[in-house]
Amino acid sequence: MKQEKTSPWEVIIGLEIHAELNTKAKLFSGAPNHFGDEPNSNITPVCTGMPGALPVLNKEAVRKAVQFGCAVGAQVAKFSQFDRKSYFYPDNPRNFQITQFTHPIVIGGKIDAMVDGEEKHFHIHHAHLEDDAGMLKHFNTFAGVDFNRAGVPLLEIVSEPCMHTPKEASAYASAVKAILDAIDASDCNMEEGSLRVDVNISVRKKGEPGFRNKTEIKNMNSFSNLEKALHYEIGHQIAEYEKNQDKNPLDVIPQATYRYDPDQGKTILMRRKEQADDYRYFPEPDLLPLVLTEDFIEEVRKGLPELPLQKEKRYVEELKLSPPTAFAIAYDKKIAVYFEECLKYCQNAKSVANWILIEFAGRLKDKNLTLAETAIGPCHVASLVKNIDNGTISGKIAKSIADDMVEAPGKDPEEIIKENLAYRPITDPAVIAPIVDSVISANMQSAQDFIAGRDRAFAFLVGQVMKKTGGSASPELVNSLLKQKISEITPK
Amino acid sequence: MSLHTLSMHDITSRFQKGEVSATEIVKHTFARIEKFEPSLDAFLSLCKERALEKAEKLDLKKKQNQPLGRLAAVPIAIKDNINVEGEITTCGSKFLTNFRAPFNATVIDLLEKEDAIIIGKTNCDEFAMGSSTENSAFKKTKNPWKLSCAPGGSSGGSAAAVAARIVPLALGSDTGGSIRQPGSLCGIIGFKPTYGWVSRYGLVAFGSSLDQIGPLTRSVADAALAMEVMGKHDKLDSTSIPKERPPLLSEMKKPVAGMTIGVPWQFLEDLEPEYKKSFEESIKVCKSLGMKVVDVDLSILKYSVAIYYIVATAEASTNLARFDGVRYGVRSKVAKTLDEVYDLSRQDGFGPEVKRRIILGTFVLSSGYQDAYYRKAQKVRSLVIKKYKEAFEKCDLIATPTSPFSAFELGSIKDPLQMYLADIYTIGADLAGLPAMSLPSGFTQDGRPIGLQLTGPQLGEPTVFQGAAAFEDATQFYKKIPELFV
Repeated sequence: MKQEKTSPWEVIIGLEIHAELNTKAKLFSGAPNHFGDEPNSNITPVCTGMPGALPVLNKEAVRKAVQFGCAVGAQVAKFSQFDRKSYFYPDNPRNFQITQFTHPIVIGGKIDAMVDGEEKHFHIHHAHLEDDAGMLKHFNTFAGVDFNRAGVPLLEIVSEPCMHTPKEASAYASAVKAILDAIDASDCNMEEGSLRVDVNISVRKKGEPGFRNKTEIKNMNSFSNLEKALHYEIGHQIAEYEKNQDKNPLDVIPQATYRYDPDQGKTILMRRKEQADDYRYFPEPDLLPLVLTEDFIEEVRKGLPELPLQKEKRYVEELKLSPPTAFAIAYDKKIAVYFEECLKYCQNAKSVANWILIEFAGRLKDKNLTLAETAIGPCHVASLVKNIDNGTISGKIAKSIADDMVEAPGKDPEEIIKENLAYRPITDPAVIAPIVDSVISANMQSAQDFIAGRDRAFAFLVGQVMKKTGGSASPELVNSLLKQKISEITPK
Repeated sequence: MSLHTLSMHDITSRFQKGEVSATEIVKHTFARIEKFEPSLDAFLSLCKERALEKAEKLDLKKKQNQPLGRLAAVPIAIKDNINVEGEITTCGSKFLTNFRAPFNATVIDLLEKEDAIIIGKTNCDEFAMGSSTENSAFKKTKNPWKLSCAPGGSSGGSAAAVAARIVPLALGSDTGGSIRQPGSLCGIIGFKPTYGWVSRYGLVAFGSSLDQIGPLTRSVADAALAMEVMGKHDKLDSTSIPKERPPLLSEMKKPVAGMTIGVPWQFLEDLEPEYKKSFEESIKVCKSLGMKVVDVDLSILKYSVAIYYIVATAEASTNLARFDGVRYGVRSKVAKTLDEVYDLSRQDGFGPEVKRRIILGTFVLSSGYQDAYYRKAQKVRSLVIKKYKEAFEKCDLIATPTSPFSAFELGSIKDPLQMYLADIYTIGADLAGLPAMSLPSGFTQDGRPIGLQLTGPQLGEPTVFQGAAAFEDATQFYKKIPELFV
């Protein structure tokens, strides 16, 4: 950040996010919208552009687009329209795409995102509905087209050019994903391509009017690659301008489309845009304009689930979570669902959050898993926290139990405690008392310090007892025995 | 009376009474095809087996006293740009020589449900682009009234098959006059419904905002019956009107006295004397039926051909983009790269008129030209709609000739622009989405049919049929059969 403040360059980033809507059927036909099936099994005459086939708009897709518009506080257009966008490509079965060019369904909107612990606001220009293309598959001597994806509904969410750092871009994209997730509009799976991020980027000298040429980087498959690609491209553009200060900036960085190669860690030129493409947009005559009533939009608005931002606020205000913790949970639907399930069994929200976000997340990182994907249930995590809170186990033992829970997912921590002697807290005073005695006599000074009012000395003595019992003594019992024994000592 | 001159209603009724079997009807139809098709060239493909199978089924149904459909045993022909599942749909194009339709058009489902029997697919201008059927890649259909003449187009095969008394009903499609103009040139009924009255699902699109499927028949009653069967809301076509359609067979019998006919005299100034005289005769007939005749202003229609060739070609240039040689149709055998697959397949597969219209349509949509052409045309189209509305405030129906001329010699019109003018009187109803019918209104001195066009307001089908039925009853031109095909 510091570096950016001193740099004479300003970075301008805009994002185009294509989200495949998780409707049952495709945007313009009844064909199933389902990923990963046998090629060309989810198709109707509409999907393959058969002569005589006609598109019929899927109302579920419209509803999801309206939900998104309401969720980001956008204006939902009462009148929107579909247009034909003409270009020839084998994955494009009609050789025109049906999209919304002049009258999109969602206009404006705002995305709140957390960037380095600071809440920032980003603006959406518009979002429109369109149909996805099929997919080309290349074989040795020929290529094939799989039309399963052709006609899958896409919501293209176009931001204003309002981001200035790679972190802002990925924070914006994550927040968009969180909202789509929360309203169940998309599977948001970047690897399967159900969420695709294209980025437009340009740099200019601070204070310079107007924009320089932008480059487009297509199809980043993760947010971390998005950041890396942006870092690379920013560096590349600045370096080029600095190297060619005598040249016309328009010639230094030409308008072009790149893709990011994560293995090489750099962007690779796909094509230069020497002239603007002419898609010959005009209104799709096979579809009527999409007219929505105020009542419908209101009904959708009222039916919205709790959105990530509202969740975050509730966690901070009601559960007293720290804002970063609240954000981390609220903006990940799977974690939020898991977290709230845990709270049904255990009300210590802070501790539950810590165990989910830090302890278990850390243990599962290598396995590339999230808690929700394992058999470790919310009731198990809750039970672990409860056992710490009621003094049955120490924090140290809890960590060992967590290790075991990750190794053998699905086992109740109560069960693990019962089966493992070492985890079972020693609750017999007859066993602990001699150890307490020996610790006091070996650390008489600390005992005297405690009597003199230094609490830290007591914590030290507890620690010594725990050490000698291998952490298995019941912390409550140790406390009471220590206090009792010390009270028997005559103060100096 | 022989079978081939019976009305649709009479065929079904005789079949139901047991006076004739469906198989006999089909055999009779194919006997006539064998006899006349070599000189007529109306059909691109025949489905004799399919027809005989259907006929046997119907005969069995009849024997078992099962309920029969409203079109039971009526032989019908289908323009070859309408999908019939399992049959080749060429659209008159070399490009689709091998294209077997994987699904039925909605109208085919509706007709077959009422037990009509499909006999074959009829010739047409390639992708319905033309006014003489000469743009077919396969054959030149002849006009039954004079075999050296064109039947009109683009539904020329359908019109010729009906006029030659091979089938009582053939389907056409109308984008700029392609049902009514061949209807007029072949001396039969051609009806284009209100846009959205009949489903377009399964009709290979030319100009999507203009295309309508409609019937070609020998009588108004037959057209009404066909329209009652085909006029249903279809959720597969988003532009299909979601309303109950009123009955036509009963409505058309209502008296016409007091009805007002509007005539756009100014727009008809250039009509040649022989046709003008005939048209004036028709107006006299209307008056004699107690109809009032008023002058209406539709001078805006002088722009209709220009607007049409922008809007229709713009839509067509995208509709026909799907014919790329990738998924179906004829792929160039010499193409080695993707671009060659596109370029050579389209170069080989499309005829000159189709290419001309694709290029024109691509041009009028191009950035930098769209405002001057496509958008301006849309604005004028809105004006056309407005002017029709104003006219219909003064009258119930608008009468014009269907075509500025009667059947012309094959090969005689070489200039495409001259050919486009054949649709000067029909295009208006397409641009405004109005119902319009061409019906026989007389003959030229040398015996070529002349047609009268009655145009109604939007959803004014009952009125159009009412006026047409009265005119037909008063004139009886429909009873005349071309000599060669008696």
